[in-house]
Amino acid sequence: MAHAGTLQIDHLSKHYDVKGEPLPVLDNITLTVNPGEFVSIVGSSGCGKSTLLRLIVGLEDDYQGEVLLDGQRVLGTSLDRGIVFQEHRLFPWLNVEQNIALGLLNANFTEAEKTRSVREHINLVGLGGFETAHPHQLSGGMSQRVAIARALVSRPEVLLLDEPFGALDALTRAHLQQKLHRIWQAEGITMILVTHDVEEAVYLGDKVVVMEPRPGRIRRIVPVPLAHPRDRAALPFARIKEDVLAEFASEAEAATVVRHALRHDDGPDSGFSLPNGLRFAL
Amino acid sequence: MARTIVPRPLRGFVIPVLLTAVWWAAVHFGWSTSPLLVAPSKVWQTGVEQVVSGKVFAALGASLWRDLVGFAIGAGAGLAVGALLGASRVAEKLVGPSFHTLKQISLFAWIPLLSVWFGLGDAAKVAFLSLAAFFPVVLNTFEGIRSVPADMLEVARVLKFTPAQRWRKLILPSAAPSIFAGIHLGLIYAWLATLGAEYLLVSGPGIANLMIDGREHFWMDMVLFGVFVVGLVGFTLNWIAGRIEARALAWRGRSVAQF
Amino acid sequence: MSRDLLMPLNGRAVDATPARLAWRLWFAAPAWPGLRDWLLAWPLPLAVLALWALAAHLEWIAPQVLPAPDAVALTLKESLLSGELWANLQVSLIRVIAGFAVGLVGGLALGVAMGLSPTVKDYVYPLFKAFAQVPVLGWLPLLMLLVGIDEGLKIILISKAALVPIALNTYKGIQGVPTRFIEVGRVLRFTRWQMLGQVVFPAALAPIWNGIRYGFTHAWLALVVVELLASSEGLGFMIVYGRQLFQLDVVLAAVVVVGAVGYALDKVLAAIEKRLLGWRKEAF
Repeated sequence: MAHAGTLQIDHLSKHYDVKGEPLPVLDNITLTVNPGEFVSIVGSSGCGKSTLLRLIVGLEDDYQGEVLLDGQRVLGTSLDRGIVFQEHRLFPWLNVEQNIALGLLNANFTEAEKTRSVREHINLVGLGGFETAHPHQLSGGMSQRVAIARALVSRPEVLLLDEPFGALDALTRAHLQQKLHRIWQAEGITMILVTHDVEEAVYLGDKVVVMEPRPGRIRRIVPVPLAHPRDRAALPFARIKEDVLAEFASEAEAATVVRHALRHDDGPDSGFSLPNGLRFAL
Repeated sequence: MARTIVPRPLRGFVIPVLLTAVWWAAVHFGWSTSPLLVAPSKVWQTGVEQVVSGKVFAALGASLWRDLVGFAIGAGAGLAVGALLGASRVAEKLVGPSFHTLKQISLFAWIPLLSVWFGLGDAAKVAFLSLAAFFPVVLNTFEGIRSVPADMLEVARVLKFTPAQRWRKLILPSAAPSIFAGIHLGLIYAWLATLGAEYLLVSGPGIANLMIDGREHFWMDMVLFGVFVVGLVGFTLNWIAGRIEARALAWRGRSVAQF
Repeated sequence: MSRDLLMPLNGRAVDATPARLAWRLWFAAPAWPGLRDWLLAWPLPLAVLALWALAAHLEWIAPQVLPAPDAVALTLKESLLSGELWANLQVSLIRVIAGFAVGLVGGLALGVAMGLSPTVKDYVYPLFKAFAQVPVLGWLPLLMLLVGIDEGLKIILISKAALVPIALNTYKGIQGVPTRFIEVGRVLRFTRWQMLGQVVFPAALAPIWNGIRYGFTHAWLALVVVELLASSEGLGFMIVYGRQLFQLDVVLAAVVVVGAVGYALDKVLAAIEKRLLGWRKEAF
């Protein structure tokens, strides 16, 4: 069993410099992730969720605020924090076994331990028998499973997943969500998943962090106090999903309201025409 | 550290400047008594003289004229043959293997044969240049036409394209990057061949002949100037070909990988 | 199997004259997919050969201009037996391999240095590019003045011809390693050496090998030119020698050998490429 880490993010902000002007990407993100927790982060494009993950894993720096793992400030990358990207990023010149073994290149294990770990993780992701296959021989789902094994094999404290199933078809996605859930239960490490699929977020997460764009902020954190395994068709599940979706609906409706307002405002006596259900006395 | 002393855009000049300084010092302080050690200023003088008297332009003009005529013939023939091989599987099977075999023969090995068949004058040179441009153009044209993605051809079938439409709207635009690459290569090889032809078929004016002259008279300044001119022309031809390629293929966007 | 070929569909036997055999083979071809293509390759060269033989024997063209194909074949055989061909071939091969080796080492070193170190690239690349603008032949008179016309000249020219494409492709290959693989290396805490060995070089190997093949083609080209111009032995010399004496059969024999050897050596490089880059079915 790997040791599950505590992740603490305090007032994290980041901006990019575009032609001399600062473009805010993340604004005052504060989030606590408890050991062994599964946190889902949802948001529409441009809300900085991928940037947030890259800051946590250490691929990007230059931010304001704090990112702490077990109380220690994160500096650069580390084998304590693993990541699965949206593209599998397997090395085409290596086979499945060798790709997974890359995760252990710099780990403090003996050779015997490394071999055992690689084999265990191949079985964990259900790819027994494919050890010597090359990436071009695998399907998208299988490749992504290899990527997950590679990220887990060094037993990190936190596993970050950046829209890992976004490039896969719906059936494979559902299958891999289940698989990821089982792996999480077996390994017990902290996991943070970024996705734009609300159902996936509610299915997997102990809590769902809803982010809004421009600049990226946490809008709301929705707890998911449902028992595992979760039934997507059950009422409590649907309610939480609706709850989360409502955050986005209001985001969209707010935009519509503003557009309407700008179009119809030609004087103090003009009446606003609001979408149904949102009329109120001015 | 040297890293921070010299600003980035100027770094490319450091080594050439240093070398020129060493060269000048060698001449100035007489480190070598060889007649080959000419001063940088002498090279410059010779160059100016050549430009002003128009001699270099005459030589260059002759070379470039042959180059362009040979290139035009070779590229034109290359496009035709390449298109034929690309369009017709039968033609490819009949002609392809012979073509690939002939292609293996190192280019310059053809010259002695050509000199017997065409004499030593311009005709032989132009024939050689055409050959030099011919092979890369055929190869790339053929490959470009063959690489039209099968899915696009299916779209053409579904949309009931006539053969003429298929060629104009699909095959030629799709093959264009490869064809232009072939023409670019043909240009490079033709210039290389121009120089070679002038060495091997020594008759008539030409930029390479200028250098041969210089060599025979041990005029290092002339030779160096010649090297400079050859490099400049090579660079210019490359640049022109690159610009045309970029213009004609503006639709390609930044990633070539998707095509 | 061959008996079946001779049996037409209705079961009657036919005699196996060459024409009949060819006809039968044609229809059997679909069973052997490569056969049909292989057969189609022959009509053109055979026709040309026939025309050539006819022209030579009927003396439509003087034998000094176009010797008969059998004369060329004879010369080829003779020079092979007398050891003359082998002696010249040996000289050429040693030259090209020596020059290519120098160019390979230099090109790889330069390409790697420029690819890995932005500092080196800043200082060296512009000069290198300028240097590359002058084709091999442009340097010939200059080098002749500086080093004369002995082996040194040839090796230098051949190595220059190989060095430029190898250095360029190596540099571009290293530069072009996709960032997404580098990021994986960073996340997995690769040391500098691990990054180079596990990510950069495997990823850059394809363009580097491309450069090596291209470099060899240029080296072979330079060899032939330099031997045509300034040599007293080697295949190129054979060509010039035959030309001077209007013995075109010698010329053609040497040309054939030049083509064959160049082809064979390129095929060797292609085979090595296949072994090294066999994983490259779907490129990244």
